[in-house]
Amino acid sequence: MSNKNDGGKRSARERMQEERAKQETAARKKRQLTVILAALVVIAAAVVIGIVVQNGRSSSYDAAKDAPAGTVGNTRLLIPVGATNAPSTVTIYEDPRCPACEQFETGMKSTINQLLAQGKIQIQYHIASFIDRHDGGKGSKNAANALACAQNVGRFHDYHDVLYANQPDETNDAWADKSILITLAKQVPGLDSPSFESCVNGNTYGSWVTAVQSDFDKSGYNSTPTVLLNGTSAYPTYNNEDISPANFTKWVDAANKGKPLASVPSASAEALASPTAHNNPPASAGASAGHS
Amino acid sequence: MPLKEHKAGLAPIDRTGPKPPGTAGTGRGTAVGAWIGTAVRIGLAVVWAWAGLAKISDPQAAAQAVRVYRILPEALVKPFGYGLPFLEIALALLLLVGLGTRIAAVLSAVLLLVYIASIASVWARGISIDCGCFGGGGAVAASQTSYWQEILRDCGFLLLAGWLVWRPKTRLSLDGWLAA
Repeated sequence: MSNKNDGGKRSARERMQEERAKQETAARKKRQLTVILAALVVIAAAVVIGIVVQNGRSSSYDAAKDAPAGTVGNTRLLIPVGATNAPSTVTIYEDPRCPACEQFETGMKSTINQLLAQGKIQIQYHIASFIDRHDGGKGSKNAANALACAQNVGRFHDYHDVLYANQPDETNDAWADKSILITLAKQVPGLDSPSFESCVNGNTYGSWVTAVQSDFDKSGYNSTPTVLLNGTSAYPTYNNEDISPANFTKWVDAANKGKPLASVPSASAEALASPTAHNNPPASAGASAGHS
Repeated sequence: MPLKEHKAGLAPIDRTGPKPPGTAGTGRGTAVGAWIGTAVRIGLAVVWAWAGLAKISDPQAAAQAVRVYRILPEALVKPFGYGLPFLEIALALLLLVGLGTRIAAVLSAVLLLVYIASIASVWARGISIDCGCFGGGGAVAASQTSYWQEILRDCGFLLLAGWLVWRPKTRLSLDGWLAA
């Protein structure tokens, strides 16, 4: 410990000072180590708690009880429209707030309805809701939940068309106000009801909406609309041809060649074939294309 | 070190003796430097807090922001997406109170280097994403990418972290209070 072999030459004062300096250095080192350890503990605790909390917040979807009635797929994330035994499947990823989806719907709706009525296609809708992340807001999620509420009572398709016909500008988060979604539901005969309203207001299918978006995130497709004809991308092009009502019909017919068409009950076929199908009242926002 | 009390019972020790001159730093230069350090520390804390808080409200979006880099396997996407914001917030807290400033600065620098490398990698692979540095993230149109700006910005933050690694002693810090 001490410097006895110095032969007592050094003064007691010097020795004491040296000793004290050593002790201080050791104490300082210890303190520094403690601080570093404390910092690392704070960081590790924050990260672990964060992962656990976020995991708890986001993994609550149970397909058996959280999905709206009539949904299909492994985890019931898809909303089917049209005959199940139609020879072609059209998969459509759409975000309620996405303006390109509105353009797609406006331009292609009557063609698609016709193909549905003829039993040529079945549509499987993925209702994504990622625009809320990009532009901020809640409109996509609210609208997706409202669409799930409509699906639960068999009114998805009509309500879907009404929403696109009345879509606000992408940056205007009008549907953050759920009462607007309920007002729009009144345009669909038989949809608005106390239970529908509580479904919209209570965000009943919120975990389903999150699960659908999560599925879209993992799909590798990164924009909406994404349109697949029997699994092959058909938007904006298919086999190097641009999508258009005529081309889309042609593509479907080619894909269906030699396959029997599904039989569609005449009442619903007529409803789909009507030029005003799912479009009451007439859309105000420049929706002139596509209405034959 | 003027204005500082030493521990009771011990006489002041002159540490300047055995050390090479210049390192201990006395006088106005160090004092100003310590205050600059405080500003740098708080600045970096604000950056991390902003970055972290923006990412915690929507864990799904945070996971997607990580996923679109296409660096991590799917099994690690969620742990990183969920955990990174809290790492950032922890760094913000440590820097804000000035506890373990040097280790916090070292970890900040490492994290920023990882971010810069990730953005550069995405850029080199021709993937079009928003870096998701301050929330958001995900795929964007190729014309909407801003990799240069994102990397430059992170390099700026890296300078702040570098300063604190170099001079971790700052005013108004828990480190200083503990050492007093």
